[in-house]
Amino acid sequence: MKSDNNFFNYSRPHDSGFKHVSGFAEYTDDILEPEGTLFGAIGWSKKANAIIKKIDLNDVRTSEGVVSVVTYSDIPGRNDVGPVFDGDPIFPKKKVEYYGQPLFAVAAKSTELARKAVLKAKIIYIDSKPIVTIKEAIKKNKLLFKVRKIKKGNPLKKIFKSKNYLKGNFTTGSQEHFYLEGQVAFVIPQEDNDLIVYSSTQHPSETQQLIAKMLNQKSNSITVLVRRIGGGFGGKETNFLTSCICALLANKTKSPVKLRLDRDDDIIITGKRHEFYSDYKVGFDDKGKINGLKIKLASKCGMSPDLSLAINERALLHIDNAYFLSDIEVSNYLCKTNTSTSTAFRGFGGNQGMMAIENIIDNISRYLKKDPYEIRKINFYKKKKKNITHYGMRIEDNVINEIFDKLIKKSNYKKRVLKIKNFNSKNKYQKKGIAITPVKFGISFTTIHLNQAGALVHIYTDGSVHLNHGGIEMGQGTHTKIAQLVSNSLGLPFEKVQISATNTSKVPNTSASAASSTTDLNGAATLNAVLKIKTNLEKFIKSKYKIFYSKKPTYNNGYIIFGNKSFKFEKIIKEAYLNRVSLSSSGFYSTPKIKFDKKSFYGRPFYYFCYGAAVSEVTIDTLTGENIVNRVDILHDAGNSINPALELGQIEGGFVQGQGWLTMEEVNWNSNGQITTISPSTYKIPAVSDIPKKFNVEIYKEGINKENVVNKSKTTGEPPLMLAMSVFFAIKDAISSVGNYKVIPILDAPATAEKILMSIKNLKKKL
Amino acid sequence: MTSNTIEFILNNKIHRISNPDPNETILNFVRLKLKKTGTKEGCAEGGCGACTIVLGELINNNIQYKAINACIAFLPTINGKQLILVEDLVSEGGKLHPVQNAMVKFHGSQCGFCTPGFVMSMFAMYKNNKSFNDEIINEALSGNLCRCTGYRPIIDAAKSLNKIIDNDKFIKYKKKIVSLLKKIKVKNIEIKNENKKYFAPKTIIELKKIIKNHPEAKFLSGGTDLSLEVTKARKEIEKIISLNSIKELDFIYNKKNEIEVGAGTSLLKFEKYIKKYYLDFDSILKRYGSVQIRNVGTIAGNIATASPIGDTLPLLLALDAKIILDGKKKEIIPINKFFISYRKTRLKKGQFIFSVKIPIYKKNIFKAYKISKRFEDDISSVCGSFNIEIDKNRIKKIKIAYGGMSEIPKRAKNTEKSLINSNFTEKIFYKAIKNLEKDYKPIDDMRASKSYRMEVAKNLLMKCFLEVKNKKILRLN
Repeated sequence: MKSDNNFFNYSRPHDSGFKHVSGFAEYTDDILEPEGTLFGAIGWSKKANAIIKKIDLNDVRTSEGVVSVVTYSDIPGRNDVGPVFDGDPIFPKKKVEYYGQPLFAVAAKSTELARKAVLKAKIIYIDSKPIVTIKEAIKKNKLLFKVRKIKKGNPLKKIFKSKNYLKGNFTTGSQEHFYLEGQVAFVIPQEDNDLIVYSSTQHPSETQQLIAKMLNQKSNSITVLVRRIGGGFGGKETNFLTSCICALLANKTKSPVKLRLDRDDDIIITGKRHEFYSDYKVGFDDKGKINGLKIKLASKCGMSPDLSLAINERALLHIDNAYFLSDIEVSNYLCKTNTSTSTAFRGFGGNQGMMAIENIIDNISRYLKKDPYEIRKINFYKKKKKNITHYGMRIEDNVINEIFDKLIKKSNYKKRVLKIKNFNSKNKYQKKGIAITPVKFGISFTTIHLNQAGALVHIYTDGSVHLNHGGIEMGQGTHTKIAQLVSNSLGLPFEKVQISATNTSKVPNTSASAASSTTDLNGAATLNAVLKIKTNLEKFIKSKYKIFYSKKPTYNNGYIIFGNKSFKFEKIIKEAYLNRVSLSSSGFYSTPKIKFDKKSFYGRPFYYFCYGAAVSEVTIDTLTGENIVNRVDILHDAGNSINPALELGQIEGGFVQGQGWLTMEEVNWNSNGQITTISPSTYKIPAVSDIPKKFNVEIYKEGINKENVVNKSKTTGEPPLMLAMSVFFAIKDAISSVGNYKVIPILDAPATAEKILMSIKNLKKKL
Repeated sequence: MTSNTIEFILNNKIHRISNPDPNETILNFVRLKLKKTGTKEGCAEGGCGACTIVLGELINNNIQYKAINACIAFLPTINGKQLILVEDLVSEGGKLHPVQNAMVKFHGSQCGFCTPGFVMSMFAMYKNNKSFNDEIINEALSGNLCRCTGYRPIIDAAKSLNKIIDNDKFIKYKKKIVSLLKKIKVKNIEIKNENKKYFAPKTIIELKKIIKNHPEAKFLSGGTDLSLEVTKARKEIEKIISLNSIKELDFIYNKKNEIEVGAGTSLLKFEKYIKKYYLDFDSILKRYGSVQIRNVGTIAGNIATASPIGDTLPLLLALDAKIILDGKKKEIIPINKFFISYRKTRLKKGQFIFSVKIPIYKKNIFKAYKISKRFEDDISSVCGSFNIEIDKNRIKKIKIAYGGMSEIPKRAKNTEKSLINSNFTEKIFYKAIKNLEKDYKPIDDMRASKSYRMEVAKNLLMKCFLEVKNKKILRLN
């Protein structure tokens, strides 16, 4: 076993592992309520596009156990939770814009009674036809922003001059987050109208600000606390409705209020992943090298802007995935639809952009009758030339060629391709397919000012350490990893470092735990705080013990060592206290080097890139469209990882989530705008037997972050989701075999059994 | 003797509650009254497993451990059982149970919210089996959803238990629990809680009396469908008659080439039995729902809810099963006459399902296929079932039934007609499948479009043909 003071590359279990398995880990709904606590429920619209003619809440008010009802008229301040732009009213006054939009809320003696009460509202609507799909929105010109165009080179000319040319369109579907813990908040009023807010959020600071604005109070009157959340995946980044409505109820009743959405309400009310539609023209040479690409990217944004601008921007920034595109034009449509506002979801638009280009590459190779892996390789960014992205960033850390080649060998790709072709020639009703796809994903918030973080570290007189930072623990293990960094830096056992709930009164003005950057940013801020304390300590020791040691001391095994002189940590801490040395410090970090001009779409939006690749092999049933994933091989770059076990968890978990997005998970809306997939009985996420039968996942051992990120590690938050693209293209490969690889199959994501069977049917017609 | 008090064991002690709210779920009781919050609510419909608890039941001096969904089980149904929660697995002094230990060691938790449910499912698996292969593990965990890990570490944790000798605290206290369970003499239960009533009779005679006095009462068998009235529709069920304490309804045997299954027999018990006769029946039942659902769900419950999809129903239709009704009027109804229209059956007020009789066809080929978005724990978009007697390459008899193709599960009479007395050839089948368009007019919904439903229904019949013809199973799972 590794000694306790070396935590780098140490696969220690999640800090809450013990508490998770024994049921002692406390989530917001588990917090014991003080006497007099009330329980909330939200009443929502049954129409997707309507004017409220009359809203009669008398029966709600008189319903058993109801103490208070709130509507828009109870909001003293800002009636909006839009994080960047307005457009997300807490309760709309008149105009309803989606099925499920909150209209009022109640506080009652129990959750059961509150939920029963909200069903008793009598609402008369004046109904209009809603816009539900991207197609309808484009046709009616319902866009949230002006069409945006980015252009590099002269793609039209290049396409025109190319020997080969393809056009087509492609859709990737929406996705429900399905975090296992639904949206929940618990608000306890304090003196002076102050509120303590417990919320299942990825973004405590914005929760704080939005509640303050809603109540016309100062931010300093609201404190938000989050110990852990039961999964987020982006779905708790800007869904502030629950916490704001809960705070409004608490403010009105002057009582503690707990508001927990049940699963159906959670899915109906809150936003999901953006569906993307793309329409492309591409010109390429006989080898498959892309000469020019013109592409239209349209996304279904729902009823408001929310984060859609940033999400679409990330899609534009990832339309290249790992490929050098010399001449490209992208036009971007942000469609306004009468559905819940589409929001952040692991990948944040990047994955949708990457799927669009991967589909084009796949079609090019099928057109040229070449193995797609060759076409991918030919188009990869190179090290010394062809290394500038379409937004002008020089790629300095490219390892995609190395990873790709290594994985091709490791997975025995080439032999398996032949084996599969042989299998397919002998089997009519079962077909196999294989695909290898790369991932290159940019790390940093593309909104530059968000790339900052704070931390607060105390060392108490007994030598124990209190750690606090702005990051949210949502399963990714950020608290564990940052505590490992601290214990390593101080040379103390892990157990000496106490992890504490994220708290807006300890670390202010934090960014959301998002963009894969939580540990990068907060870990660095924490180390900054530790460094300041260490500087105080060292200065004290040196002067007190007259040490003239020019090098930095080492912190090891509970000792601070200056060459041949060492000091026991606990003892020297007590001494430092008695000598009036500060043993507490805040820390701060802001990401260097990044600069991006959104208008000209030019600069360096990313501090670094994450790379990875995956090979997937599937079998499909040509009579039913059913499919299974036989084998997956992954090689993923985590840099010099802080905790390989946790990174592996992110890689595998991200992959399976991506597999769900691209295969079985299908969000369905009726033409009247009503969402119909609202619970696990109708919305299917992967279950235990859906994962690859053989699942070989490896961290790229040669990986190291060229930039100065904590421990030279690379994040694994979002990038692994995109490894699942290989499953989709393996399915497409299997379909293609039905026509003996002569016809390019048309297949949109998610590749459900239905879509696969219909794709086969269409393909057969062309034979 | 009749009692208004339910009794159950929690932490080696008998707990008693008089006149509990019969609409209260075990989950709400545990979280809100006992204030034990380890058990989580993820969906309130038995679809995610976050609420999984384990009930210990006395069977032949032994304790059988059943994982169930606490979110859709009503509190009175724990009468006479041992209630085991995730917190209770931890020993005095804070020592983790081997299952919990494995989950920590193999990094089986990330956000941790689904973890208690996984731990409980794995605990039941650990207690009920001696070793754990992929099949046992997948089955045990198929009713638990995790959105973080991708399951691999959880599966590894389960596999690691093969190396651990079971010497947990439940073995230590087994004698005590057995004697406590014996001490609870299960009585006829009659609960009054405000306007709500709950009956759990022990005998059919008692049951009939109660039905007579309360013909409007709803029957509770597994309750996996009925409870949704409360947890989803937020309605009250005023009168409930539980069939769970009636031993006379829990039976299964083979008499004169006919299997008879009592209405109260759990699906899990039924599938173990039917496997010997109809392999595909077993595989469809395994995909009917999770272990948590099949531990409580019954075949009679499946019949009475009369869902248009109703996984076992097309199978029973193709097998020409008979429904035996009792109560006000004893009746034997062939299953193809039982379903009238959408969720309507010939079961009248005052009647209850006593049993189902399934003929055994020794010469026949029986096949069933289920199509759904997910293999495990999903509702089918289409379920097809085929029962064929072939004599010298001629189809002597054929019964075809589908679920998910119309408002009730029903036989494909036109298609059957076009096949009967025909040769067993590909050409004949290709022609015959077109008749499915006469038999069914499927609809579009969130599970599948009507065109896919029709297409796949046709292909399933072809698949059946191909499997028989080539003597080969053509399936992915």
